[in-house]
Amino acid sequence: MNNLRSAPAVNPRRHLPVTTIFKVEPSRSEPRNQFELEPRLAEMKRALRDGCYKQYRTSPEVELLAECDAEQLSWPRRAARLIRRMCEAQEVVIRPEERIVFTRTVEKVPSIYSQSQQQALTAGREFHELGPISNICADWEMVLSQGLGQRRQIALATRERLKNDPQAVEFLDCAIETIDAAANLAWRYAEEAARIRRHDVAKILYRVPEQPASTFHEALQALRLCHAVLWLGGHYHCGLGRFDQYMWPYLKKDLKLGRIDLSGAEQLLAEFFLSLNKDSDLYPGIQQGDNGQSLMLGGVKRDGSSGVNELTYMTLRVARGVGMIDPKINLRVTKNTSLDLLELAAELTQIGLGFPQYSNDDVVIPGLVAHGYELEDARDYSVAACWEFIIPGGGMEVVNVGAVSMPAAVDAAIHSGLAAGDSFDDILVRVGSNLHSQVAKLAERSARLFLPPAPYYSVFMSGCLERGCDLSHGLKYNNFGIHGACSSNAADALAAVKTFVFEERSVSPQRLLDALNSNFDQDEALRRNLFDEGPKVGNDDARADAMLVRLFDLFSEACESIPANRHGGIFRPGSGSAMFYVWLAQGHEAMTEPVVGATADGRKSGGYFSSSLAPSPGVRVRGPFSVLKSYSKINYQRICNGGPLTLEVSDTVFRNPEAVHQVALLIRAFAAVGCQQLQINTLNVDSLKDAQVHPERHKNLVVRVWGWSGYFCELDEAFQNQIIGRHVYGESAKCGLP
Amino acid sequence: MAARIKIPFVLLLLPMLTGVVFDIKEFAVHDGPGLRVTVFLKGCALRCSWCHNPEGQSPEPQMLRGTAGERLAGVTFSSQALADRLNSLASLLRVGDGGVTFSGGEPLAQADFVSEVIDRLDGLHVVLDTSGYAEESSFRKVAAKSQLVYFDLKLIDAAAHLAHAGVDNQPILRNLHVLAKLGIPFVIRVPLIPGVTDTQANLSAITRTVAGLPGLQRIDLLPYNKAAGAKYAACGMVYRPTFDEGRESKVNLACFKSAGLKVRIL
Repeated sequence: MNNLRSAPAVNPRRHLPVTTIFKVEPSRSEPRNQFELEPRLAEMKRALRDGCYKQYRTSPEVELLAECDAEQLSWPRRAARLIRRMCEAQEVVIRPEERIVFTRTVEKVPSIYSQSQQQALTAGREFHELGPISNICADWEMVLSQGLGQRRQIALATRERLKNDPQAVEFLDCAIETIDAAANLAWRYAEEAARIRRHDVAKILYRVPEQPASTFHEALQALRLCHAVLWLGGHYHCGLGRFDQYMWPYLKKDLKLGRIDLSGAEQLLAEFFLSLNKDSDLYPGIQQGDNGQSLMLGGVKRDGSSGVNELTYMTLRVARGVGMIDPKINLRVTKNTSLDLLELAAELTQIGLGFPQYSNDDVVIPGLVAHGYELEDARDYSVAACWEFIIPGGGMEVVNVGAVSMPAAVDAAIHSGLAAGDSFDDILVRVGSNLHSQVAKLAERSARLFLPPAPYYSVFMSGCLERGCDLSHGLKYNNFGIHGACSSNAADALAAVKTFVFEERSVSPQRLLDALNSNFDQDEALRRNLFDEGPKVGNDDARADAMLVRLFDLFSEACESIPANRHGGIFRPGSGSAMFYVWLAQGHEAMTEPVVGATADGRKSGGYFSSSLAPSPGVRVRGPFSVLKSYSKINYQRICNGGPLTLEVSDTVFRNPEAVHQVALLIRAFAAVGCQQLQINTLNVDSLKDAQVHPERHKNLVVRVWGWSGYFCELDEAFQNQIIGRHVYGESAKCGLP
Repeated sequence: MAARIKIPFVLLLLPMLTGVVFDIKEFAVHDGPGLRVTVFLKGCALRCSWCHNPEGQSPEPQMLRGTAGERLAGVTFSSQALADRLNSLASLLRVGDGGVTFSGGEPLAQADFVSEVIDRLDGLHVVLDTSGYAEESSFRKVAAKSQLVYFDLKLIDAAAHLAHAGVDNQPILRNLHVLAKLGIPFVIRVPLIPGVTDTQANLSAITRTVAGLPGLQRIDLLPYNKAAGAKYAACGMVYRPTFDEGRESKVNLACFKSAGLKVRIL
C-alpha cells in the first residue's frame, strides 16, 4: 500500500475506457460535411426572403358559392369542386432558376358554404379548429410509387364494384375529380414549360404526378405538386412523413445508374426545401410559422431493421445549408444511434432553427403498441404538425382536441382541499377528479366534432379508394389526443404544499390560501420561500418528480376511463402545451378552463407557465442532466400523444470546437435515460432582447416557439417574452480562468 | 448510556471532510471531454485582475446580491454528499463519455476534500482544472487521481505574475514539472489578457516551458471576455483590471506551431 501511495503515477482509473482529447480532435468548429447552395439556389433563397414569389399571387379570387348552390352540390362534391376550381385558377409560373416548379398564384381559399348554410349544416356539431381536415400525414410512399393514374384506376375499379352504393359512388367520383384536377394542373405546367423551351421541366411534368415517379427529381416534383394542392383545398398542417424512407429508393436507383451524383442530388433536395417556403406565409396556423410542414427522418423500418440511409444524412446536411424554417426536421433516435448522425443533427441544432426535434424509438414505439397500434404501424410513426405521433396514411387522428390545464386542476384542489382540512392524499384525489372532469368535458365536446369530407386527401390515404370511403369516416386509427399542459408548474405547486404545509408544517393552510387569493401582495416572504426553497421539477428531486409522475398517471387514468371517442378511437394523453402556456396564464377566447391566478409554487398571477416539458419559468435548476433525469420518470407507456422536453442551449456553447460532439452526446443521453421527445433550441438571449427593440436588424432570427419554429420578429410579444424567460443552459460562466 | 453509544458514531463521522462549493454546473462544455459536471470549489490564493469568478476567491460562503435577488455562493458539502450528488448522474455521464471536473476557485486549496470526493466517486472520469498554485503534496495527491489535468499558465515572468496574479509563480512552475513526471495527460490553458499574457515574449516563454513535456496534449488559448467584471458588484467588490480591456488581443501562433505544439483558440 505504501508503495502505491508513494508512486502516484499508478492510477487505477487510467485503464477505464474514457474519451481522450484525441478522440474529439480535430477541431470541429466548422461542420465536417458542409453543404452550400449553388448560386442559382442562393438567389432563390434571397428572393424567398424578400417575398419575390408573392408577386405572382395575382389570380382572381375563386368564386365557388354561386355555382355550388346553383348545382345544389353535396358537401363532398363541393370539396372536390374546390380542388378543381383552385387548380384551374392557378396560373403557371416557371422561373428561370427553378427546376422544381409550382408557385401559388391564388391567394385565398374560398368558402364552399355561406356562413348561414354552414351553421345549419353543422347545428349541434363542431368543426375542429378551422374546419378542413388538418394535421394528418399522407402515405407519400404510395402516392409516389403508384402515381395519380393508378390511384384513379383503383377508384374506377371500386366504383364498378360498389356501383349500387350511391355514397361510395359519389365519394369516388369526387376523388376522381380531384385527381384529374391535380393531373391537369401538372399538364398545364408541362405545356407551358414546353412552350418556353424548358424541356427539362416539361419532360417531368408530362409524367408526374400522374405516373409513378421514376427518378429522384420526378419524385420531388410530384411531391411538391400533390402537397401544394392539399393546401389549395383548405387543408393545413399537411405533414411530409418519413421522407428519407419513401424518397431513398428513387435516389438510390439514380445513384446506382449514374443518373445523378451526390452533389446534384443535394442541390435538388435543397431546391425542394426552398420550394416549401414559397407559399408558406399563406398557410394557416396560430401564428406565422406554425404551418406543420414536418418531416421525419431515421428510425426503424416496418420490419424493425434500421431505416437510416444516405438520404437521412443528406437531408440533415442540406437542411443546415438551406437554413429556412421549412420543412421542420424531426429525427428518430435510440440510445444506439450512431454519433455520426447525431453530430450532423447537432450541427443543424447549432444554427438555431430550433430543429431537429428528436423522438426516442425505444419509448415511442412500445407506447404506441400499448395504445393499440400494430407493431409494424407503430414502427412507421411520424409526427403531426408539432410533436404528436401519427401513422402516415393510416391515421385520421385529431391529435389536439384540447388540453387539460394541469395548473387549474391542481390549483382548484389545493384551494378546496386546504379549506376543507383535507390530508395531502385527499388533495391528490381532488386533483384526479378535476382532471377527470376536464377530460370528460373535452371528450363530450369532441363527440360533437365534425370532420368534413376530404376527397382529395382521401386519395393519399390507405384504403379510402379501395373501400370507397372518405377519410372523414375514419381510417385504421382514429384516436384523439389531449395535451397535458403546463405540468411542471402544477407539480411544483403540489410539491410545495406537500413539503411546507403537510411535512414541515412551516406554512399554515390559511396563510397559503390568503396569499394565493391576494396574489402574494401581503406575503412576498412566503412567495419567495415557495419559489426559491420549494422542490422543483428539473432538479432530479424525488419530491417534485413524484408529483409530476403522479399528475401524468392521474391524467392517463382519466383518459383511459373514457371507453371510446365517437370515431371508435381512444383518447391519447400527451405532455405538450402548444400555446396553452400563455393562454392558461393570461386567458384566451378559445380556453374553456379558467385562467389560473397565483399558484402555490410561488408563481404570481399572469406569469407564464412551463411550455411542454420544461422546468417552471424562473426556477433555479441544476442543469440539463438533472432536467433529463426528472422527465425520464414519467411513464411514457401511458403518455403517448407526444410533447417534447425542451432544452435551450446558449449559442456560446458552440464556440467550443467539441460542442457539436457534446450536444450529440446530450441527445444520446436523452435517449439512454428513457425520455420520449426532445427539442434543443440554440438561443442568444441578448440578440432576442435586441430584436424586440430593433426588429429591423433581426429579420432572419429564428426561434423554436412550441412545436414549430418561426421568425422571432413575427411572434406575438407574449410569446417573445416567454422565450426570453426560458432556461438557457451552457452559458459560458467559466472559460477556464480560475 | 446514550452518550456512550453516540461517541463511536461521532468518531466514524469525524474523518469525513467537508468542502465549500460555489457552483455545480451540468453540461459544462468547456471543461473537458464528453458530458461533464463541473464542481467549482471556493477559495483561491491568486488574485488575477481579470478573474471573472470573483466569488471563487474567498474561501468563505458569501451572499451575492444581483438584480434577480440574493444567492448564497458557497455551500458546505461532506465528501460523501458531494460524491452522492455526482454519482447520481454517473450513468448519464458514462453514456456521454464524460465525467466530473473539479475547478474553482482553486480546487487544490481544498485538496484533501477533493481527493476524498474522488475516492468516493463511482469510477467516473476526473478532470482537474487548476491554477497549479498548491503545495506539491496536494498537487500530487489530486493530480494522481485525475485522468486529465487542465493546467493554467498565465505568465512565465515571475515579477509580472506577482503583479497581475498576486502570487509568486514558482510553485506553479514546479507543479507543472511534477505533473509532467506523473505522466498524466494535460492541457495547458492560457488566458489571453491584452498586453499582459498575450505578448510575444510571454507566449514564447510559455512555449519554451512546456515544449517536450510528456503528457502535454495541446494548448488552449482563452480570449479575454469583456464580461469578466460582471459579477463583482454582486460580490460587493470592484473590478480593477490591470490592463487595457479595450485593446484587441493579437496573438501570433507561430511560436507554438514551430515548436510542434497543438493549439486551439476557444
